[in-house]
Amino acid sequence: MPKAIVYYVKWVDYISTKLGRFTMYTIFLMIAVLLLGAITRNIINMPLSWTVEMAQFIITGYYIIGGAYSMQLEDHVRMDLLYERYSTKTKAKIDVATNIFLVIYLVTLLIGSISSTMYAIEYGQRKFSEWNPSMIPIKVIMVFGIFLMLLQSISTFFKDLATARGIKIS
Amino acid sequence: MSYEAIALTMFGGMLVMLLTGQRVFAAIGFISATAALFLYGTGAIEMPFNAAFKLFNWYPMLTLPMFIYMGYILSETGIADDLYGMFHVWFGPVRGGLAIGTIGLMVVISAMNGLSVAGMAIGATIALPEMLRRNYDKVMITGVVQAGSSLGILVPPSVVLVLYGMIARQPVGRLWLAGILPGFMMAGLFILYIVIRCWLQPHLAPTVSKEELKMPLGEKLKLARAGIIPFLIFFFMTGLFIMGITSLVESSAVGASAATVAALAKRRLTKEVMEETLRQTLGVTCMFMWIILAALCFGAVFDGIGAVKAIESLFITKWSLTPVQVLIMMQLSYIVMGMFLDDTAMLVIVAPLYVPLIVSLGFDAIWYGVLYTITCQIAYMTPPFGYNLFLMRAMAPDEITLPDIYNSIVPFVLVMTLALILIMVFPQIALWLPNLVYVKG
Repeated sequence: MPKAIVYYVKWVDYISTKLGRFTMYTIFLMIAVLLLGAITRNIINMPLSWTVEMAQFIITGYYIIGGAYSMQLEDHVRMDLLYERYSTKTKAKIDVATNIFLVIYLVTLLIGSISSTMYAIEYGQRKFSEWNPSMIPIKVIMVFGIFLMLLQSISTFFKDLATARGIKIS
Repeated sequence: MSYEAIALTMFGGMLVMLLTGQRVFAAIGFISATAALFLYGTGAIEMPFNAAFKLFNWYPMLTLPMFIYMGYILSETGIADDLYGMFHVWFGPVRGGLAIGTIGLMVVISAMNGLSVAGMAIGATIALPEMLRRNYDKVMITGVVQAGSSLGILVPPSVVLVLYGMIARQPVGRLWLAGILPGFMMAGLFILYIVIRCWLQPHLAPTVSKEELKMPLGEKLKLARAGIIPFLIFFFMTGLFIMGITSLVESSAVGASAATVAALAKRRLTKEVMEETLRQTLGVTCMFMWIILAALCFGAVFDGIGAVKAIESLFITKWSLTPVQVLIMMQLSYIVMGMFLDDTAMLVIVAPLYVPLIVSLGFDAIWYGVLYTITCQIAYMTPPFGYNLFLMRAMAPDEITLPDIYNSIVPFVLVMTLALILIMVFPQIALWLPNLVYVKG
């Protein structure tokens, strides 16, 4: 494999792992925010309007940014009726061919997310609620997460290509 | 190209994509993105994201990572071991008692968690090896664990009913209440099946020797303490929600904290357990969420071509079916599709098509949610595509082979179909409790 590709795979995997492992812990933030809402409303009788929405923002970041790391760890299910019967090498060969569909889907998702973010920035889009938060940050996070997912799937493609050709990357 | 042809091409394309073994979310996402471009031109390039963004507003899905987190905490920290010990000693003397006890265990775990993953993990790693050691028939007990753990999505709390509630716009509280009696009824039917089967074929389940179970009553009662933690968790989570003290998503956070506190109190929350729990929670949550993101786009395209009207005219005008026949057709189509499609994706794609039709035919959407969930349970277990099957393969001891797993589900799927028919014929089984509680206020 050319050196540039090896570097690419190494770096993308590194970034996905770091960000994914960071995101992994934000579940505690979600729990804390939701508990805060439940406690303030029931115990000190001070309802907070923003807790559920805050948790909504956190979980969106959680699965969008965590997506790349979960893909690296092969957490995404496949229908393995036929697939499981193949050898590792055959699996990699099939994946090399079908990963293009993964990339196409992610590219359309990315284009959509960018245009949606541009709209949010242009019109200063806000969530229609009591708290009324700006939608720009979450959309920017989504663009970034989808982009990371795209980078990761290209890295996965290179790794599959290496496995299919029977060589080791890294 | 007619709309029927478009719909068939999309389904066919998705099936072919899935058969290649590519990740499910990518297969569904690719088909829907290209269908959108093909049908609506380049302007539709934003459709996949705009459809996916709907998930942002589905805030009840916050319960998903919470339940996954709880499930892993409960199975990794060995809280379930104590529970198993309790059921073991109490049901041990009966023929087939360990299998019956396992169903009991599964009901308790289902009441603490909204997914079938936790029950599956606990069943496959604790109950299965124990029963194998005592020469229980391996095919039967594999079925017991699979069927028992599937109760996780019917007995409240249930993530499938949360998802259904969002799509059908029905209150989750009523849906959860509606799931209670059918859940117990199904557990009862499983137990009945085990009792009859073991009575007819005693060699399937050797009784446990008296000496081993000999224990003073005091000790036996002490074991019942294992039931305190699950009860507390159930009370804090589902109880507070049904009483209206905490909202749905808050309840799931309370449940996750309660499980963490229980694990801490038992001094079993090690660094390894935490690492495993957090990593798996992220992985499983991402898997489900990315499938839903893609399925939402598929659904949007389907909606765009007027699939609801098309199905309605097919069933009612072309085939002139009666409402009950339509209902049966829907359940059958779910089971058939469930064999080939991912179950979560199926709910997101198909439920928006069926629910309006169900309501316009005069059926109760809450009742239909229960029917849908049972169908989902069946789909979870039937090959070639079922989450429980995947998990079973990954977690079961080595001596349990793939044919064992496939054979094991047959009687239980029949029992579940019976339960489905019973609830179809007697809707009160599902609707009695939600009507009772909500009438009283």
